[in-house]
Amino acid sequence: MFDPPGPRGRRRSRIATTAVVLVALALVAIAVRRFDAAGQLDPAKWRPFLTWPVWRYLLTGLGATALAAGAVFLLASVAGLGLAFGRMSRFSWPFRAYIEVVRTIPVLLLIYVVLFVLPGYGLDLPLFWKLVLPLAVSHAAQFAEVFRAGVLAVDRGQAEAGASLGLTSAQTMRHVVLPQAVRHVLPSLVSQTVGLVKDTALGYVVSYLELLQSGRVLANFTHLLIQTFLVVALVYLVVNGSLSKLARHLEARSARSAR
Amino acid sequence: MRWTTLSVVVLLLVTGCSGGESSVPGGTPSAIDQLVAKAPVAANVPEGSTMARIKERGELLIGGSLDAPLLSLQNPGTGELTGFDADLGKLLAKYLIGEPRTKLVTSTSETREPLLANGTVDVILQTYTITPQRAERVAFAGPYYESGQTVAVRRGTTGIAKPADLAGRKVVVGANTPAIAAVKAAAPTAELVEFGSDPECLTALRQGRGEAYVQDQALLIADASQDNELEIVGEPFTKDPYGIGIKHGDEQFKQFVNDWLREIQKSGLWQDVWRNSIGTVVSGPPPSPPAIGSAQGS
Amino acid sequence: MSHLPALVDGFLTTLALVALSFTGAFALGLVVVVLRVGPLRVLRFAGTAYVEAFQNVPLLVWLVLFVFGLPEVGVRFPLFATAVVVISLYEAAYVAEALRSGVNTVAHGQGEAARALGLTFGQSLRHVVVPQAARRVVQPLGNIGIALTMNTSLAAVAGVVELTASANRVNLVEALPIPLFVGAGLCYALLAAGIGGLAGVLERRLAT
Repeated sequence: MFDPPGPRGRRRSRIATTAVVLVALALVAIAVRRFDAAGQLDPAKWRPFLTWPVWRYLLTGLGATALAAGAVFLLASVAGLGLAFGRMSRFSWPFRAYIEVVRTIPVLLLIYVVLFVLPGYGLDLPLFWKLVLPLAVSHAAQFAEVFRAGVLAVDRGQAEAGASLGLTSAQTMRHVVLPQAVRHVLPSLVSQTVGLVKDTALGYVVSYLELLQSGRVLANFTHLLIQTFLVVALVYLVVNGSLSKLARHLEARSARSAR
Repeated sequence: MRWTTLSVVVLLLVTGCSGGESSVPGGTPSAIDQLVAKAPVAANVPEGSTMARIKERGELLIGGSLDAPLLSLQNPGTGELTGFDADLGKLLAKYLIGEPRTKLVTSTSETREPLLANGTVDVILQTYTITPQRAERVAFAGPYYESGQTVAVRRGTTGIAKPADLAGRKVVVGANTPAIAAVKAAAPTAELVEFGSDPECLTALRQGRGEAYVQDQALLIADASQDNELEIVGEPFTKDPYGIGIKHGDEQFKQFVNDWLREIQKSGLWQDVWRNSIGTVVSGPPPSPPAIGSAQGS
Repeated sequence: MSHLPALVDGFLTTLALVALSFTGAFALGLVVVVLRVGPLRVLRFAGTAYVEAFQNVPLLVWLVLFVFGLPEVGVRFPLFATAVVVISLYEAAYVAEALRSGVNTVAHGQGEAARALGLTFGQSLRHVVVPQAARRVVQPLGNIGIALTMNTSLAAVAGVVELTASANRVNLVEALPIPLFVGAGLCYALLAAGIGGLAGVLERRLAT
């Protein structure tokens, strides 16, 4: 949408870049100085985060988060794919109904159902599944929509080309349409997965001790609210950031191999 | 990839260091072990009762918190649960089963009654105030403790000497605590600002989101001991009876728990538990435990 | 029930949160996506860093950091405004990604053709890319709107008494969690259904 800049354009963008960077650095410096003045950079406040027991506690919570997130991802993505195909098939209405209904129900409500209503019918699941099942049910609907958007975005000519090559519709889907569809919506898929990891924070409702709840307990134990939450934010950044990075790496690889 | 490697290296460096723990008020685990050793065990557990079922399961399922200082707080370093509610739970478990085997199911103010009703937890031990409305849906054993809401301000705040002075001012309260009703009763025109946990409320007070903070006296004393800008104004102005939540209609279990409460109050064990938890911050002798059944609804 | 006014108040607060946050998120998301596809590299980097930061950390953590951390840096806004700003900032990252996906599905050749026709960056965006991308982004934006609606319940962390917090306050007195919270859940579901329906209508309108 824009030409590569000429010499005058390059000089202008260099000036603009320097200006932006300087302003940003100045703001950060002011913020850090004020933070220090408020006593929040006091070493005593940060020392607990140099001890192994604190990190062991947080990492245990992280492990629990990862486990739950992994399980939800597997269940929801597979179910979502199935739902997407069902939605695009001839008997689309039950799948469409499921997706529409589940999308609008708050996940918390689904968790309450599993927590309060099901035991009355004799279905008392272990804690882990009380969290994973409702999340999977909810996210399957969202994954289905993402997959459907991806498949619809693939040029119709691709499917026709597949048919003219003698491939069955299933084969066309698997080898031609689906890979392109997934590549199209990879950013959305990554968003979904990251959102899924964050949704595991609802584990506190079913007494599943994951990272965020661990952070809260820690903050209540140490009375270091801001420091604890800054550390927790950092852990989430690293973990989810790595997930996104991995996904981008995969996207680049598949885009290269498609050429 | 570089990013991830860097984080891993940092984590490895951190695990190399070990250090002490923060000074947080509360009893030590070894003290509770001594108390448990002295604790009574029920002589007679009727057949087919809730108590027999719990004894057979071998574990008491308690609905409570992990993040309530002085009452039920988990130590992240050791995983141990300390506090008044937590210790009472261990003693009750020993009374029922013979060993202090408890499993904490973290419950919130939204989930605790349904969890009790569908049997996911046996009892609720979570600073659960006895009220007549609640008594219509939950049976209460006790009261086992009487808490008092107190007003605290930042040092240098003028004009607040008693709860009625809160009229027309912004008051910080903890969400789902008796403070909400207490302030509404004492100063109906006060504007309530709710936050989810004690550290949040303290930070909010410090940052001027409110002019005063109303919370349980023991908690405020613990907070004030760590922050000399916090000033407690006056004595507690309410009496909130805490009860042990039991499934509605289970009179037998309620009687059983009440018998246990009476026993530990008489033997002085209740006072020892108090000394080991709330007593570590509140000076003076233990209060006399409230009379069983004295609260409306218990 | 005597508590109805309090619950209605909470619902209206939630409505206000949803409306204001969505508007803010959309506006901010537009800015960020322009940054990310624009010519200046430092701005592209800033946009990417912003999206990464806000998408990867849970909203609750951001709320705590903004509500309790900002005043330490000397910035103190009223609680409701802070909640709206944080939710907007958070959802804007998702809006930016959705818009960027939409822009990406518009064939690369369109942008080049626009340039070849002599349109500036701004004109190519406005007359060529956005109209084609608009239809594709309605559905993802609808999803974001629904997620935002559910997320407004976290504003309670900032002390804002919205629907969930109101229900909590009533439950504290009445101890009737199931009807209260199922009722609240249904209200959220209604809002979400409304947004979903709106998105569907909009998508069909733009399909022509």
